[in-house]
Amino acid sequence: MAEGLLRAVDIYKSFVGVQALKKVSFEINPGEIHCLAGENGSGKSTLIKVISGVYSPDSGYMEFGGKRYEKITPIDAIQSGIQVIYQDFSIFPNLTVMENLAFNSELADRRKIVNWKRMRKIATDAIAKINFKVDLDAMVGTLTVAEKQMIAISRALMFNTKLIIMDEPTTALTKREVRNLFNIILKLKERGIAILFVSHKLNEVFEISEKFTILRSGELVATGSTADLDSEKFSFFMTGREFQKKTFVPLNVSKEPIFQAKGIGMKSAFHDVSFDLRRGEIIGITGLLDSGRTELALSLFGIRPIDHGAVLVNGEEVKIINPQVAMQHKIGYVPEDRLSEGLFLTQSIADNIVISEIDSLANKIGILDHKRRSEEIERWVRELAISTPNPDNACQTLSGGNQQRVVLAKWLALNLDILILNGPTVGVDIGSKHDIHGILQKLAEEGLALLIISDDLPEVLENCSRILVMKSGSIVADLDAAKSDEKTILSYMM
Amino acid sequence: MKKILVLMIIVLMVVPMVFAAGQAEKKTGYEIVVVPKDASNPWFVRMKVGVDEYAKETGLNVYQKGTAQIDATLQAQLIQDLIAQGVDALCVVPVDLESLEPVLSQARKAGIVVITHEGAGLENVDYDIEAFSNAGYGAFIMDNLAEAMNFEGVYTTMVASLTNGSHNEWADAGVARQKEAYPKMQLLAAEKRVESFDNGDVAYNGAKELFKKYPKLKGVMGTSSYDAPGVARAIEELGLIGKAFTSGTGMPLDNAALLESGVVQSLTLWDPALAGKAMIALAVKVLDGEKIEGVVDLGVDGYTNMKFKKGSKTVLEGEGWIVINAKNVYDFGF
Amino acid sequence: MKSTISNTLQKLSRRNEPYVFLVLMLLCVLIEIRSGQFFSSNNLVDIASAFAVPGLFAIGAFMVIISGGIDVSFPALASLSVYATTKFLLDVNYQGGVWLAILIALALGAILGAFNGLFIGYFRLPALIVTLGSSSVFKGIMQGALNSKQLTVIPIGMKNFGTSSLFIAKNPVSGLTSRMPVAILAFLIVLFLVYFLMRYTMFGRGLYGIGGSEISAHRAGFGVRNTKFIMYVMVGMIASLAGVMRVCMMQQAHPTNMLGMEMNIIAGVVLGGTAITGGRGTLLGCMLGTLLIVIVENSLILIGVPTSWKSVFTGLLIIIGTGVSAYQVSRMNRVRSVETVAKEVV
Ligand SMILES: Nc1ncnc2c1ncn2[C@@H]1O[C@H](COP(=O)(O)OP(=O)(O)O)[C@@H](O)[C@H]1O
Ligand SMILES: [Mg+2]
Repeated sequence: MAEGLLRAVDIYKSFVGVQALKKVSFEINPGEIHCLAGENGSGKSTLIKVISGVYSPDSGYMEFGGKRYEKITPIDAIQSGIQVIYQDFSIFPNLTVMENLAFNSELADRRKIVNWKRMRKIATDAIAKINFKVDLDAMVGTLTVAEKQMIAISRALMFNTKLIIMDEPTTALTKREVRNLFNIILKLKERGIAILFVSHKLNEVFEISEKFTILRSGELVATGSTADLDSEKFSFFMTGREFQKKTFVPLNVSKEPIFQAKGIGMKSAFHDVSFDLRRGEIIGITGLLDSGRTELALSLFGIRPIDHGAVLVNGEEVKIINPQVAMQHKIGYVPEDRLSEGLFLTQSIADNIVISEIDSLANKIGILDHKRRSEEIERWVRELAISTPNPDNACQTLSGGNQQRVVLAKWLALNLDILILNGPTVGVDIGSKHDIHGILQKLAEEGLALLIISDDLPEVLENCSRILVMKSGSIVADLDAAKSDEKTILSYMM
Repeated sequence: MKKILVLMIIVLMVVPMVFAAGQAEKKTGYEIVVVPKDASNPWFVRMKVGVDEYAKETGLNVYQKGTAQIDATLQAQLIQDLIAQGVDALCVVPVDLESLEPVLSQARKAGIVVITHEGAGLENVDYDIEAFSNAGYGAFIMDNLAEAMNFEGVYTTMVASLTNGSHNEWADAGVARQKEAYPKMQLLAAEKRVESFDNGDVAYNGAKELFKKYPKLKGVMGTSSYDAPGVARAIEELGLIGKAFTSGTGMPLDNAALLESGVVQSLTLWDPALAGKAMIALAVKVLDGEKIEGVVDLGVDGYTNMKFKKGSKTVLEGEGWIVINAKNVYDFGF
Repeated sequence: MKSTISNTLQKLSRRNEPYVFLVLMLLCVLIEIRSGQFFSSNNLVDIASAFAVPGLFAIGAFMVIISGGIDVSFPALASLSVYATTKFLLDVNYQGGVWLAILIALALGAILGAFNGLFIGYFRLPALIVTLGSSSVFKGIMQGALNSKQLTVIPIGMKNFGTSSLFIAKNPVSGLTSRMPVAILAFLIVLFLVYFLMRYTMFGRGLYGIGGSEISAHRAGFGVRNTKFIMYVMVGMIASLAGVMRVCMMQQAHPTNMLGMEMNIIAGVVLGGTAITGGRGTLLGCMLGTLLIVIVENSLILIGVPTSWKSVFTGLLIIIGTGVSAYQVSRMNRVRSVETVAKEVV
């Protein structure tokens, strides 16, 4: 393989007690877009770090540009044209775009004195390469995630770069930003630069990459051309499990709506929103980021109360002015950002599960009933299949999917009637995503009323009975999920 | 690795160390030991001068013995050693009142006479000697200031802080003295009392502000030993020498330059040498079985007219203040 | 044209300096109204001379905070090195100029700063813990090994330097005089050097970078450990210089007189817009914030407020100052989210 750009052969790497990589071999050609997939903890980041010289492999070797390296140092890697864009982009949020762009090359040139004119020129040239327009004097911390990413890419391109490695570049991006990123990736490809990007999102892998490599528990399970891959195979390689898609079919829907919104609105967010929600139903609400979907979710739970219209629970008007009122009426809310809003990451899994029902676990004089507490915990860990050796471990030891299950457990423990979920599977790996969908559908069958806010169209199509599409603050379409497809929804969204 | 480093830090932090010092010679008569706060502080070096002088004059077995460092525990140990040694009387300048009580009580049980200085709150003593009453000393500072100001003009008072007990008593007494004796002087109504926080720099900057804001101000009565020197620096810099004055407590050598240059006419103080002598003299009287009542004369300058503090049966107050000026500033050795 | 002006104004309104400057001006006017003395030539000189030492300390504290660290040991460090210097020069009966005192103190400051730098930079112990510890170590050495007490006589060279003046300001009305100490030059020189260092050297930009994100700085190729180490050495030297200036101007060396200054100095730096979390802030803002604190500390009598209110006033200033910065941060986030949404829509 003389024309190959990078070849990794039989790479082994272990950490104390963990075999992070086992006999991993794969290769990348110049100008190739290669996707590295795998569930959390499968060894993707470790592999990247081995390639970029941060870790040295226990055994195995690499060939880069025809040269063989038993181990490569970070400097070697950069000089051979490998640039890594880490998940945090390695930026300085407190400095200007210009400095962020110029720092690396100034340091590489071993400069001691700062010449602001030269820095500006370096920066201007750098962003021109990818046609990226940004105020060079803006502080990077004030930019969007996508802009930060562009800065990281521009910076990577300042060197004679042949391979850009991106670790989960799309996780924090909106749909539009992902589009933009993909356009840039395609441009880079035209210039002969190879891209290795880490993702576990099915649609992305299919959309952009030509080649893929999938890791599972540190082992390479498949590598090859994306053309030969389909979504069942992908899921199987990722998880080692076979999934059948299970489209939600509402079974015992109650006759009377349990929750009704009548012309509700909130200033400068959404207006005139009406819908009925019945037991056993799952309603999906989708729309662009600024469509008002998140504000709607927040106001239904009383975090940002409505200023127009009325909300009826079981046919009676309720003023949901704060989350306490919402909870009194058996409404729960799983937030978008579970890390900052939904969980106490440093507390134990067990405590996180029982935190909201702690009052009901106490006996008359306010002392916690330990037996009932552990029963509750055991029940939820089992029912939601939270995979942990010990529920007393801190929540942050869990993967994203399992953390999301803890958030669910916390709410379900309250015996709710209505559950609002905002982005229920954002940042969750594919296996867990499937499981969570199963859990949600089962909950609906058991008589819960669910409201899912999500911009993941396959997710709403598969799991909802009805889909409300929001645009500029109002509902523009009320669709029957069974008779709808992505294209229709998109046409209403845009 | 880190643990070792942390350990190193800890060891370094416990640097303060212990020396031992002191000696004893055998003489006849009563054995009376003076225990100061420490042995090296110039204040107590000066006290030792008085003690040694007393020994020479009377031929008694009287000596001073101090610890290397001002430390309440070391002082208590030293006193226990002296009790075991069976001395006749102990004259103590306590570091910490509370921690000394049990040791002094032991001493008294062993039949040893206990006299203290600057220990007015102590219970297990025969008597405590104070160089002066707060009221007397405050009036004395005012006398000095008034003289410098030629008995007329506006003045104010400076204390370390408004919560400092003795400073404020001195200042109150000074003001009272002015009202009664110097009618041509007035207390600055807008700023009756300024704080210096026991910091010469604060006193200096505060005085600058005072003189700027109140052009009529002619004098500052200081109390803390940082007040007058700080104010004096301001007087000198503002070009007010001979126009504005200050007085207050101050150590002689520390302020030699100020006194000699005439920025400050006089400072006030009490002499530790005399206090040391007075303690011993009182101890001798008690050992001799004399009754201590009414007005007590210890035969030491400033301690010839000692009276019991109001409401106390153990605390005796003298008039042991002294004036320090350009002439006598080098006589004390501290 | 119009838009660039409003743009500039908008950018300015997101910074702290204009607010601090405004508060400073209001305070000055208040003092002037209450005393009629603030803008007199001698009072301005008084403020400048009271500012020299805190100003130097603030420059050092600024560098440390920018790098994401914190230093509470600088008063103890300064006290120790200047005390040791003065005592040594007295012991050898040195009769020469002040330069030797400055040199010795700088050398000692570098050594003591290196002590901090070693533990913080190389062994990566938390800065607060290390400097709390070194602060006690420095005090311990001073009290234990050096058996410190007030030195009321200082070497003649230091004394002459402390009392010499660049010029003397005389108030034509009251006739009061104040001298502008030569020591202010030391402050100005350091201010200029550090300004240059922070703005025009990779070392200075590196401090900002480290304060913003240590990992990013490391990945970009900064020698993070070396940079931090050298910075603490520099800060030790600046603090020691401040100590020498203080002793010269006071004409006595007091071992504990400077202790406790760290609180107000750090408060002034933060007040001037330097983020306590590191990475953000300007030397100009830092100087304004410190000046504000110094003026408050040294003008209460002029305003006619009892001096016992001093801590209340400085406390209030700190609350207002940090409140303003917090408000700005939250506003910046709001602006940001609006902008993000706007971009999404386009
Ligand atoms: N520095 C490290 N020390 C110990 N274990 C590590 C380290 N880095 C990664 N691991 C372990 O190696 C495995 C693979 O991790 P990683 O490469 O980060 O996975 P991914 O990026 O695919 O989520 C995980 O079990 C993780 O806990
Ligand atoms: Mg990873």
